[in-house]
Amino acid sequence: MIEILLVEDNPGDARLAVEALKDGKFANRLTVVEDGTSALNYLRREGNYREAELPDLVLLDLNLPGKDGREVLREMKADPELRRIPVVILTTSSAEADVLKSYNLYANCYIVKPVDLAQFVTVVRGIEDFWLSIVKLPTRPEAHGG
Amino acid sequence: MLNSNDAIISKTPDGIITSWNAAAEELYGYRAEEAIGRHIGLIVPPEKLGELGEIMARLGKVTGTQKIETERLTRDGRRIEVEVRISPIRNASGKLIGASSIAHDIGETRRMVRELAHTVDNLAKSNAELEQFAYVASHDLQEPLRMVASYVQLIAQRYEGRLDNDADEFIGFAVDGANRMKNLIADLLKYSRAGRGEAFTEVNTATALEEAMANLQFALRETAAGVTHDVMPRISGIPPQITELFQNLIGNALKFHGPDPPRVHISARRADARWEFSIADNGIGIAPEYRGKIFEIFRRLHGRGKYPGTGIGLAICRKIVAHHGGEITVDSAEGQGATFRFTLPEYVGSDPNNCVATST
Repeated sequence: MIEILLVEDNPGDARLAVEALKDGKFANRLTVVEDGTSALNYLRREGNYREAELPDLVLLDLNLPGKDGREVLREMKADPELRRIPVVILTTSSAEADVLKSYNLYANCYIVKPVDLAQFVTVVRGIEDFWLSIVKLPTRPEAHGG
Repeated sequence: MLNSNDAIISKTPDGIITSWNAAAEELYGYRAEEAIGRHIGLIVPPEKLGELGEIMARLGKVTGTQKIETERLTRDGRRIEVEVRISPIRNASGKLIGASSIAHDIGETRRMVRELAHTVDNLAKSNAELEQFAYVASHDLQEPLRMVASYVQLIAQRYEGRLDNDADEFIGFAVDGANRMKNLIADLLKYSRAGRGEAFTEVNTATALEEAMANLQFALRETAAGVTHDVMPRISGIPPQITELFQNLIGNALKFHGPDPPRVHISARRADARWEFSIADNGIGIAPEYRGKIFEIFRRLHGRGKYPGTGIGLAICRKIVAHHGGEITVDSAEGQGATFRFTLPEYVGSDPNNCVATST
């Protein structure tokens, strides 16, 4: 089972991603968290997320309430446990400054959400196809016991 | 530069007025007989008396004229800004016996300069605000629009034909509206980004034209268009903007073609320190009453069914040309093609000092 963590504060967007991945090629489990702090808690399996599985892929929105996507990215890439997990930035912002900043913070790729539904589905499927099929990722370590 | 409007006054070293011309009467409001014999303090604001005292003290030592910009008081209590030139008056043995001062009102000029600077400042601010507004608005509008567009499309996909005919029609309108809005926002964003910043460099307009043509290759093939051009000059500008300018104008010529395949000719000629380009086509042309309006943002002259597009292309062209210090115009009659003309600055070399003869 492929684990995907989606960090997205807009439930409409989250639902679209769920719809797009529903009939995907791979058996996947998509978990949605709505802000940066929850995302980091989830990834570190702290607080409410002690039972969480470490994801194979993180889809990260940039503009989030509280701790935003840039900070989540920075903390992930500074954490030896988390830095190998590919992070796909999935955002409405096409601002050059956001693109540059994300790559400078070691984002694995940057995608602007298409407005069109068909294109959005294509993009989400493309992400799945590339990161879960074409790319060879390191084996996921066993979750911490206890 | 004595001018009949200059107020000419003379006074003793102690500051007693000894002469007062007609222009002084006009400027200060006192008649000669009222002013002569009075102290100069009559027209000098109290805090400016010190300044005047210093000038008078220097008059004994120097021979030339001293020029100051200062304030004076008029009879009706107004303060006026004046430029005053004060010269010593000496007797035959060279002793200082008084001073003459020649003054004119510079308030009007100063006010105009100040107002102009203020206006320029305001304009720059409101321009910047407007660009920021367009940019932020189009960015922030994307998010809710994506929701509307995506979910309407999802409804269309899942439920088309499963509701009644009315529902399908309504969904169709909603999808169409969302798509149009999407294009408008994308174009608004494009417009707000066009013609901004970046340093000017040398632009080979032949290269810019080639790139524009490469971007238009499908439209060129589809319409069997013929594009010809004169020798293309080097200009000073921002390369991607010049490419976009050519691309939009040639693209327009291809889009609004008549019954014959489009023929486009691009020419360039010198006009002072600039190059004037013209892009002439054999298309459907533009009725005279619309010639000025076609450069407005989102202005369209035809139904969407006939010619697609939001009407942003020429507005972007105008913005790019304006950013390069020029103007864009169109010459056309309905059914007889159109010729767009615009100017771009000439290229003067990377180091302007090389071209200037230095004299020592």
